[in-house]
This record gives sequence, C-alpha cells and structure tokens, in this order.
Amino acid sequence: MEKRSKLKDPGIFLTVLLALYSVFVFAWWPTDIYWAGVSLVGWLMFIGLFFWLLLGIIYVVWIERIDEEQKQ
Amino acid sequence: MRVTESVILLIYLIFMTLIGIYFYKRARQSSDDYFTAGRSINTFVGAFAIFAAVASSSSLLGAVGGGVVNGLAYFFTYAFGVIAILPFMMFLVSGQLRRAGVKTVPDFFKQRFGSSVQIIAAIFVVIAMTFYMVPQITASGLIGTYVLGIDYTVAVIVLGLGFTIYAALGGMWAITYTDLFQGAIMLIGVVILALFVLGDFGSVSALLGEALAVDPTFGDINLPWMSYFGLFIAFLWFGIISPSVVMRNFASRGVKTARRTAMWGTVLYLTLFLGGFIVTLAGAQLGIIDTLDNTDMIFISVVEQYLPPILGGIMLAGLLAAIMSSADAMLLAISAGIAHDIYKGHINKQASERFVTGLGLVVMFIAAGVGIIFAINPPGIIAVMVGWVGGFLLSSFGFPLVLGLWWKRANKEGALAGMVGGALLFVILMVFTDLPTNAEPIIAAPVSLILMIVVSLMTKPPSKEIQDRVDYYHGIE
Repeated sequence: MEKRSKLKDPGIFLTVLLALYSVFVFAWWPTDIYWAGVSLVGWLMFIGLFFWLLLGIIYVVWIERIDEEQKQ
Repeated sequence: MRVTESVILLIYLIFMTLIGIYFYKRARQSSDDYFTAGRSINTFVGAFAIFAAVASSSSLLGAVGGGVVNGLAYFFTYAFGVIAILPFMMFLVSGQLRRAGVKTVPDFFKQRFGSSVQIIAAIFVVIAMTFYMVPQITASGLIGTYVLGIDYTVAVIVLGLGFTIYAALGGMWAITYTDLFQGAIMLIGVVILALFVLGDFGSVSALLGEALAVDPTFGDINLPWMSYFGLFIAFLWFGIISPSVVMRNFASRGVKTARRTAMWGTVLYLTLFLGGFIVTLAGAQLGIIDTLDNTDMIFISVVEQYLPPILGGIMLAGLLAAIMSSADAMLLAISAGIAHDIYKGHINKQASERFVTGLGLVVMFIAAGVGIIFAINPPGIIAVMVGWVGGFLLSSFGFPLVLGLWWKRANKEGALAGMVGGALLFVILMVFTDLPTNAEPIIAAPVSLILMIVVSLMTKPPSKEIQDRVDYYHGIE
C-alpha cells in the first residue's frame, strides 16, 4: 500500500461524471423535442442506462489497475 | 384457481424451503456464517444475489405499471435511477465496506464512530427494514390472490411465511443461493416474455407505434419535473442506504469480488429493464389500463395475453421471486440488527455463536409476523410505502455512512447529529407538512449532511487510529 489522495480515487471521478450526466438531463429537460413519438427526455434517460453500465465497467478496470500497481 | 400456475408456484416454494433446510447446519455454525455466508460468495453467485436483492416488486410491477399509466419517460426515469444503484454504490462504498471487515451496517458505525452510533443505527435498521417488508408482502399477497384464487389475508400469511422459513433456517447462505435461483428465474421470465411480445409485433418500432396509436400521450412528459427528479434521487441512493443490499458486500469473498459483483449485477439489472421496456410497450398497447383496479397488475395482463400457462406460471413465480429475494434480505438485516448489533453487541457480549444465530432465527419469524400484520391492512400504496422508508434511510444513514468512509475528520458527534437530526426532520416533514409525495428527503438529507459536517468540525477530531482506519478502507497506508 502506498500514499495516494482519496480525491484522485476513480470512485470520486466517476461519481462526478454520473452527477454531471444527471444534471445535464434534469437541467435541460427537453420535453418538447420528440424522436419516434417519444420525448427526448425519455431517450436521454434510456441512453443513460448504458452510460451507467459503462461507468461501472470503467471503475472496475481502473481500480483493479491501481490495486495491481500498488502490489507491484 | 389457475391450476398450472398454482402447481408451478407450489413447486417453487418447496424448492426454496429445501434450500433453507440444506443450509441450516452450515448457517448455524457461527454468526459469520448466518449473517455473511462466511464471507465466501463468489462473483457469479454474488451478482445474481445482489441483483435479486435490489430488484423488488416495484422493479417489475411498479415500473411497468407506472410506465403504462404515466408514459414511457416515466419508465425510463425509473430505470435511470435503479440502474445507477449498483454503480453508485460501487464508486462510493462497496470495496471500502468490504475492506472494513464488518458483518452489518451498524457494525461499521461502531467501528468508525463508536457504540452509541451503532445502537441508534441498529434501531433505525430494525424499524426501517420491518416497514420495508410490508410493501413486499403486500405485493406477494396481490399476486397470490390473483394466481391461487385465495383470500388476500391467507395469501399474505402463506407467502410471508414462505420466504421466512428458508431465510430463518439458512441465514445468508440460504438467502444468497435462493437469490441466485430467484434472480435467474425473474430475468429469464422477463426475457422470454419480451421475446414472445416481439415475436408478435416483429420489431420494437412497430410495437412502439402500436402503443402510441392506442395512447397518444404515451411518449409525453405527463407529470411535473419534481416527480421524475424525486423518483431518480430516491432510487439512486438505495444501494448505499438499504442494509439489505449493503450486506451483500460483506458476504463477498474479497474487495475485488465485491466490486465485480456490483458490476455484473448492473449487467443483469439492465437486461431486466430492457425486457421491462418491451413489457411496458406491450402493456400500453393493450389499452386496458383504465379498466384495472390496481395499475401494477398490467404486468400480469401482459403475461396472460402473450404467454402459454406453463411459461406464465414460471413468470409469475419470477414475480414472487423478485418480491421474496428482496424481503428475505430485509429480514436478515432486521435479524442481524437485533441478534448481533443489539444483543451480542450490548446486552450479552459473552453470548455463544449458537445462541446468537438461534436468536437471529427467532427474530426473523417475529419480524415477519409484524410485517404480515401490517400487510393485511397496508398503510398506503406500495410505491408510497417504499418511498417513505427509502427517504427515512437516506435522511438518516446516507451521509454518515459515506462521510464515515471518506472523511477522516467525521466524528461520533457529527455522525449522531447527522443521523438523528436527519431522521427527526424527515418525520417532522412527513407528519406536519404538505410536501409532494416522497419529497421529504430532498430537504432532510442535505440537512443531515450539513449537521454532520458542522458538528464534526465544531467538536474534537477522531483519534489517529480511527483516522488511519479511513485510509485503510481505501487501501492507503
């Protein structure tokens, strides 16, 4: 184990990304733009589902790499 | 009575009970075995178990019912919140809590803040989890009444005891392995249902077109902004504030496994909601939502419309699985709160492992009894009940848990102020104000955060040993 700042933790960085996308959706809130008959708000949420999974995968890969580096 | 569906449900209940009996001896060996399955659960089993614990009656019945009534964007908002549960938990608490090496959430509070915080946390866990079980048992009663054709009260008692027996006998061992089976059956059920629906319509766009033709407002935003935002926030925090989910991290084989478990759990949950998306479209396309007494039952209508009886029976077993796999985890959290945190932690520190697991077993039956009594005359609709308990836990636990793991300067006084202050404010707002439904935590949770920070800074910092422990949670020297 070695010294590293908690502020540089992947968890904090990815939490910020998660918060930014959420703020983007809820702040913009494009109710009157439609695609395939459904409000863009709905589609932004739908895209978000895959974005959340991507963030989860990035976290696991990233933190395991840090763990490996620390071991070495 | 629907005979085929009833037989399948009976076989399912017997199988779950057998799993409980199989794990009885192993679970009673030690409290570590009973409450955390010996900390030996691998990624594959753990992913299904955590997915099943998060996916409850509201995930399937509530999301689809809400989506058909309020429009597709409402369903997507629901999914937007719940799919974020496990990643959010993983970013902030999974690995750190597993590294803490504790058995329960109040156990963590004791390690980080001391016994007084542990006791309050344990009392909150027991109360909140008991009330969290009520909507689950209510939903199982509704399904039981529909499928078995028996009285609601009888269905609530039979099905409530159904999951209590295996959970009490086999503890976390039985709960985890029944959850593996239950997670699989609900996922396979929803995917098969979605494929049958798509087989009829040919494509998603054709199905969406049909749904919009039946209900032209289906694609619109039909509720105020606050309703969508409140729904998202309430779900986002669930994996951090609900001990029934957090305890899955303690059962993992190690830190790496805890994280991977959450990641694969997200994959499973996303798959479930993609199937739920198709079921929501099919439900809207049926055009019968206004004729239903309980809109959550639109899911059952889609099952009846598209699946033959045998597959329908399996899907209904999957719905019960979703309910039971969440309720059993809540029972375990209650049992651990009383037997481990309060009795072993404060009343009788010399209690034998055998006695503690035995007490845990008895507590599960008592807690289930209390839950069943409330469920016979439920105090509100399912979604509101879930919102109350989730809001209470977020207002009391959310920030003390996260700051306890991340902020060295957080101390006992701050944690007590944040926990008790947030909980009290939540109750005051709920009882004495006319805030929109489930909006209380939007005020109470930030107040809990502010109280915790201010009081911590105004009082003595924790000892160096405690501060070093915070570094240890993160693998830092």
